[in-house]
Amino acid sequence: MNPLKNFLFQLQEISLLVWRAFIGLFRKPRYFSETIRQMDLIGVGSLPIVLLTGFFTGGVLILQTFPTLQYYSIQNEAGRSVATSLVRELGPVLSALMVSGRIGSAISAELGSMVVSQQIDAMRALGTDPTRKLVSPRILALIFMLPLLTVAADIFGIIGGAIVASGLFNQETNVFITSVRAGITTEDLIGGIIKPLFFGLIIGSISCYKGLSTTGGTVGVGRSTTSAVVVSSIVVIIFDFFLSKAIQSIFDIGRI
Amino acid sequence: MLSADLETEPEIIAEEKLGEIADIENAVDDSSRILPAIEFRDVHLSFDDKKILNGVSFTVRRGETKIILGRSGGGKSTTIRLILGLLKPDSGQIFVDGEDITHYTEEEMMRVRQKMGMVFQEGALFDSLSVFENVAYRLQEQGVDEETCEKEVRRMLQFVDLEDAIDKMPSELSGGMRRRVGIARALVGDPTIVMFDEPTAGLDPPTARTICELAIKLRDLEDVSSIFVTHEMNNLEYLSSEYATVNEDGEVIYEMEGENLCLINTEVIMFRDGEIIFSGKDEQLRKTDDAYIRKFIRGK
Repeated sequence: MNPLKNFLFQLQEISLLVWRAFIGLFRKPRYFSETIRQMDLIGVGSLPIVLLTGFFTGGVLILQTFPTLQYYSIQNEAGRSVATSLVRELGPVLSALMVSGRIGSAISAELGSMVVSQQIDAMRALGTDPTRKLVSPRILALIFMLPLLTVAADIFGIIGGAIVASGLFNQETNVFITSVRAGITTEDLIGGIIKPLFFGLIIGSISCYKGLSTTGGTVGVGRSTTSAVVVSSIVVIIFDFFLSKAIQSIFDIGRI
Repeated sequence: MLSADLETEPEIIAEEKLGEIADIENAVDDSSRILPAIEFRDVHLSFDDKKILNGVSFTVRRGETKIILGRSGGGKSTTIRLILGLLKPDSGQIFVDGEDITHYTEEEMMRVRQKMGMVFQEGALFDSLSVFENVAYRLQEQGVDEETCEKEVRRMLQFVDLEDAIDKMPSELSGGMRRRVGIARALVGDPTIVMFDEPTAGLDPPTARTICELAIKLRDLEDVSSIFVTHEMNNLEYLSSEYATVNEDGEVIYEMEGENLCLINTEVIMFRDGEIIFSGKDEQLRKTDDAYIRKFIRGK
């Protein structure tokens, strides 16, 4: 199959998988407890790395931008620059990339192992729909938890920026916080929540598809895991561009 | 016809009428056994350019065990996957209990699978669930209460002689124990059709023998129709020449067919490159002149 055909085929299959997962939510049996379990694994389990990522991202943003702002005598806007960068862009994208690496790989490895050991076939033979039992809870958990993780990353990013601004550049914390509050608008917050909703869907659907389409034994599991992380990361970054443009257009952000 | 006779010989006519009723009842009972449990009609399947099944046709009667022999890659496991609806044929028809399942959707197949049990190679147990949860899986998915689940699970584990392992995880079990738990899981819900996909692969001879004894028990004591896929001649030997009965003490014993008894409920089909090259009894298989089959049986 040539690359374009392959791409279209995979896009079709992922779309069908998401559709079946979505339709399955409205029919019994519903796997509520499994969804809660996945939310715990994804949300609580990813919290440490997301907080660390946010904290050091906020810190390095101040580290890099403060001298430039100081040069133009607008160092009091440091808080605003960190906050808008984090809330609009870096918080959602970096959180998604962290979760893609941690959770995307775990999902595709788990489902891929089940495929090669015939557990998926056994599930179907015993009358259970693997899409409803395995895919729906994971995608739903990612859609719910990624926005919450993103908010946590944003908060810790702002804290990290404040610590660096006051510790290294002797800026007063209340100046920093005032600047943060002035810089963030409601539209920024809404946009910063909308993005992780889509990113959660992208990571969940790609990882589940890659896992369930594993072939070739244990080598195939490794291949599909790598592919799940790489593809979902790239799609998040590409999608982020178009989503940012759409949010800007809807909320009229970024016009001078 | 009946009313004219009633005026002349009422007792004889009444007896005839009772006889007709008995015949009708017997016919109703027998007709349920006329429909084959499984039927393949000219089934073809290819993956990319490779022909997997090429015009395969066979039936499995009620209460019959069909042993499918063949080399690896010959189409044996694919046959089972087609019956379960895990794959769809390119052409031909597949019937289960007289129902054409060839083009059934996944949802329609869920209903058909209720009457089927499948024993996968190496068991295919769910790693993250205990033995109890594995065996109870179908019942728990159906929302059956905990007490009934436990009772049924214990009954199935007793059948495979593994009740002590009820709380263990699959990783704590040996290969043979995992296969037996797989059999217990397949039998929950009392399926009328059970399929074994190379259930003794990689097992030592005594453990393989245990698996075959379970299949024989199902055939002879539970009247289950089954397909037994294997490439091991020992399994053919056990299944085609031994039968299970229950002695006076209620114990299951295995006896050899001999002069007084000949097993008629077990037949053999052999696959080669997606085609059936033999179908019949094991005695005919051993007497065949076909060089390929003789080499398969004897190994040289």
